[in-house]
Amino acid sequence: MKKTLIATAAIVALLASALYAFGDIARPKPTPKSLLYSGLTITSDSQAFEARLVISENTLKNLHEAGARGNGDAALSQKIMHSSGRTMMAGLFMFLAISFGGIWIARSSQRRNTKAIAAAILVAAIFGVGTIMVRANAGPPGYIRWQNLPQNLKDAKETRGGVSIEVVPGDEDMKLIIPMRKSSKPGEE
Amino acid sequence: MERAENISVASWLPRKPRARTGVSAQAFAGLIVAAALVSAALASWLPLQVSIVTVFLFAGPHNWFEARYFLMRLPARFGRSRNFFIVAFSGIGLLTVAYVSLPALYYSNVWSGANWPNAIAVWNTLMICWIGGLVLMRARQKANRDWFWVLPIAFALCSLNWLSPELFSLAIVYVHPLVALWFLDRHLRRTKPEWLPTYRRALLFLPLLLALMLWQLSRTNALADDNGLFWRITQHAGAELLPNVSSHMLVSTHVFLEMLHYGVWIFALPLIGASGAIWSVKSIPVANHSRGFPKLVAAFLICGLFAVLLLWFGFSANYSLTRDIYFTVAMAHVLAEAPFLLRMI
Repeated sequence: MKKTLIATAAIVALLASALYAFGDIARPKPTPKSLLYSGLTITSDSQAFEARLVISENTLKNLHEAGARGNGDAALSQKIMHSSGRTMMAGLFMFLAISFGGIWIARSSQRRNTKAIAAAILVAAIFGVGTIMVRANAGPPGYIRWQNLPQNLKDAKETRGGVSIEVVPGDEDMKLIIPMRKSSKPGEE
Repeated sequence: MERAENISVASWLPRKPRARTGVSAQAFAGLIVAAALVSAALASWLPLQVSIVTVFLFAGPHNWFEARYFLMRLPARFGRSRNFFIVAFSGIGLLTVAYVSLPALYYSNVWSGANWPNAIAVWNTLMICWIGGLVLMRARQKANRDWFWVLPIAFALCSLNWLSPELFSLAIVYVHPLVALWFLDRHLRRTKPEWLPTYRRALLFLPLLLALMLWQLSRTNALADDNGLFWRITQHAGAELLPNVSSHMLVSTHVFLEMLHYGVWIFALPLIGASGAIWSVKSIPVANHSRGFPKLVAAFLICGLFAVLLLWFGFSANYSLTRDIYFTVAMAHVLAEAPFLLRMI
């Protein structure tokens, strides 16, 4: 009995110390939550006195809806990954496609229809490439559209590109982050 | 039954092809290449303006020509194709009604925008299943034809559709205009097989032209969609779904494909005599058969002409609204192409 009590006390003390130890670990930093993917135009105005942020009614409505939904509709690839219901349906149909494809190949093999099998593999490869394009958002990276921003601002021209609207905890001012890549000029590293 | 089947096939056979068309295969292919070049140049130069003018002028007439062409391909008696046509017409009707009701339900706040992709995915799945079913039914009509491969492809398409329903719908927008070229191919194969190699060689030029367009336009700035109409056109071409792709490139590509589509239905097929004399219903089996419906067919075609005039009037009065309504209702002709193309394979 005494041994049991001592053992229990030791385990409780150990668990308590563990809780204390874990309680000392710093909270993870809050990550920005992507709400909406939209378009952004940056331009300069020599007559204006204040920086202005102009939002269309439709974008504001979409922003409201995205905020109400919580996780919004972010980028396309994120939408695909975060929609579990649709991913399950896609998986179900892919299962059916592979199953029936296997049956078809087995039937075709009996007839030695190699051309048809080759065609099927080609179609599967095209689907694969198509899927990669979908996941890659089917276009060049977004930063390319912003590369001419400094020059366009000097020339008072517009620059357009995509923008992901994110919400972060806290009460800081709004921040616009433009993806710029350093362009190496001749003679520079 | 055999007699009925022969009647439907009879309309394929040209009596004097050269005398009716007055053009050679080379001239025909040359016209296609020239038309493609002019279309690509116009679509690349002024995509929004050309889109507005093209849809205004040709959207209605091309539907009328297409409807007339389908009437010519409709057998006077369905015979053993009865079930095929029942499934085809039921599918066209139900899917069109469902497609038209989707935006209506959305704007009446029956569901929120969050469910929109799911609704689109369900509709796309039903459409794929319907086409898959039609393909299998068509395969059963001919001996020694095993089209079982359609099933895995249909299911794979359903899978891609559920991954990204909006992109799948956008793919339909871009693929649909190309179906007209397939119709032209099948028609030439039956009526002018000697033209087919020349036509197919001319078709090889199109991917090159498209690649050149995409290469030239991929780095262009986005189009200024600062009014409702221009915004609608860029959205229709997929600017919102593909924000990292130049909207200029998207609209130009779409307009180019649409121009090819209209060109095939309004100019190419009538040029080779595929539509018959447009004022006569004698080339339409359903009207010409002893137990046919000549008055009904004539009334349908005349009503179609009035619909074209009404569409022009609508475009003149309120272009944006008419364009939206047209592209929603026009889903019927997109769906109708599937069974009639299958009948030609």
